[in-house]
Amino acid sequence: MNLPLKFVHTRIEEYAMQVTFDPREGRGTVVYNLSLIRKEDLEYAIAVMKDAFKAGICVSGLVRFIEEGASVGDFQVPAGHCAIITMCSSTLDGVLLRKGVPSNPIGGGVVEIENRIPRRFTHMILYEHTTIDPLQALISQEITSVNEMMRRGSGNILANIRQCHMEAETLVGEVIDDLAGSSFSGILDVGLPNTPALGVTVDPQYMGIVALGGTNPMAAIKEGGVFVVTQAIKGLMEVQEMQEILEF
Amino acid sequence: MIRTERKYIEILRILKEHREPMGAKRLSELMAERGFVLSDRAVQYYLRYLDEMGFTEKVGNMGRILTPYGKEETESALVGDRIGFIISKLERLAFRSTFDPETGTGDVAYNLSIVHEERLSDAMKAFDEVIAARCGFFPRYRVVDRDPRVPSGSAGIMSICSITMDGVFQRHGIPVRMAYGGRLDIQHGEATRFVDLIGYRGTTIDPLQLFISAGLTSLSSLVSTGTGTALANVREIPALAEQRAREVVAQMKKAGFIFPVAMGNSVFNLVADPYRLSIVAFSGMNFVANTVEKGIPIRTEIGAGNIPFSKIHRD
Repeated sequence: MNLPLKFVHTRIEEYAMQVTFDPREGRGTVVYNLSLIRKEDLEYAIAVMKDAFKAGICVSGLVRFIEEGASVGDFQVPAGHCAIITMCSSTLDGVLLRKGVPSNPIGGGVVEIENRIPRRFTHMILYEHTTIDPLQALISQEITSVNEMMRRGSGNILANIRQCHMEAETLVGEVIDDLAGSSFSGILDVGLPNTPALGVTVDPQYMGIVALGGTNPMAAIKEGGVFVVTQAIKGLMEVQEMQEILEF
Repeated sequence: MIRTERKYIEILRILKEHREPMGAKRLSELMAERGFVLSDRAVQYYLRYLDEMGFTEKVGNMGRILTPYGKEETESALVGDRIGFIISKLERLAFRSTFDPETGTGDVAYNLSIVHEERLSDAMKAFDEVIAARCGFFPRYRVVDRDPRVPSGSAGIMSICSITMDGVFQRHGIPVRMAYGGRLDIQHGEATRFVDLIGYRGTTIDPLQLFISAGLTSLSSLVSTGTGTALANVREIPALAEQRAREVVAQMKKAGFIFPVAMGNSVFNLVADPYRLSIVAFSGMNFVANTVEKGIPIRTEIGAGNIPFSKIHRD
């Protein structure tokens, strides 16, 4: 008997519940994305990821590289390949949850950036309606222009949005302050209550929080014509097991 | 930045649908048809703004046309408003599909693919493979070269869009709802389960186009080995309509359609619903997926229009 497919909002909530990351302590578990590249492309990937981090389009500068044959979670890296572990933006939902802020994941999509300022979402896939992470599916040359954004400051990047009740506004503010001093650098925009955030409508009495997609650096790699396959929201990992990309 | 108001975008959308230049008077009539009552003068005001933004331009005194930038804007603005728009747009074509499977007459909806002339035979080969493997929606297509939408040096391929099916159901009094676009796993010629689903009412991008561009199909393996991942649609109808739906399906099959893959309250790994019947059918986009997988550049407009069934059937 086939179990019914799981939609993404459920998966995000399941993972968010297990996040123990404390931004002030810099310890605990975070949600990660796993991307697979060819071994020989590793140097190129590191260079792109450094640029992406410097350009401010990464959820975090923390990464971990896993060699062929080694395992992470239930996944074994196939021969000739290398796995890149990066932080997933649903870590934010976990941090909010731990602070007592119920956050409702809305969806993921494409944000138009103009002169380094996020303007609006131009595409959106709602989590309740999809079983594949939108930001995993949207990594394709026709849709993103992450490299353009890195070079010229204007382009289309990946981001996602969740909404919190405005009653929790103070707590949300505290979380954002805490995160500002942590290795999570993925907040893109915080909307006012009852106001669309980057063009996406929120429920009455709710406010939207937009985070960068953890898959942006992978989109940049793929735009360069290099093979990369990403599995978003793949698992949980101790943040200490990851390293700053700039150290590579 | 522009104030992407509803009315501005609606004007752009109207211009996008009509290729000829259009004046303020005609625009104000068409806007009224869509529920936006504006005076000619108000339309003039909006148009001046759209000109300034570079979204529209004047063609002598014949009216305005959309610029490429303006076309892009209709595809970017008002994201919230566009969620589910792809299906509303297709539903219009379903409504206009007058196809009668019993007599094989009437209009069907079609997809229009554009491919470079020198790659046309390769693309046709890719289409034929999908037909031979019986994982398209309808086993024929039509090559067109004299169509204003086909640029010179390119050829167009029309294939039947499965939204035609919705039109047929509706005409038989069966309320139908296009629910999902998905990736269907096929093992040795047998469909086993969905790998992914995206609901049409929760996205601004066509799910099937998205799966194709993200490289998430494996039609080329499917057509050669019988095992792979194809694109399929899931429609829902009330369980009460089962009998009537089965009759329609039998007629469709007789008319040559490959339809459906499965039908029931609990099919594959879809969420079961005792009151609604899911109908799973291969998408006509499998033609395109196979072409893209072979590295042949192809651009497809899903639901490009309606055409008499005989025009595609006889070719």
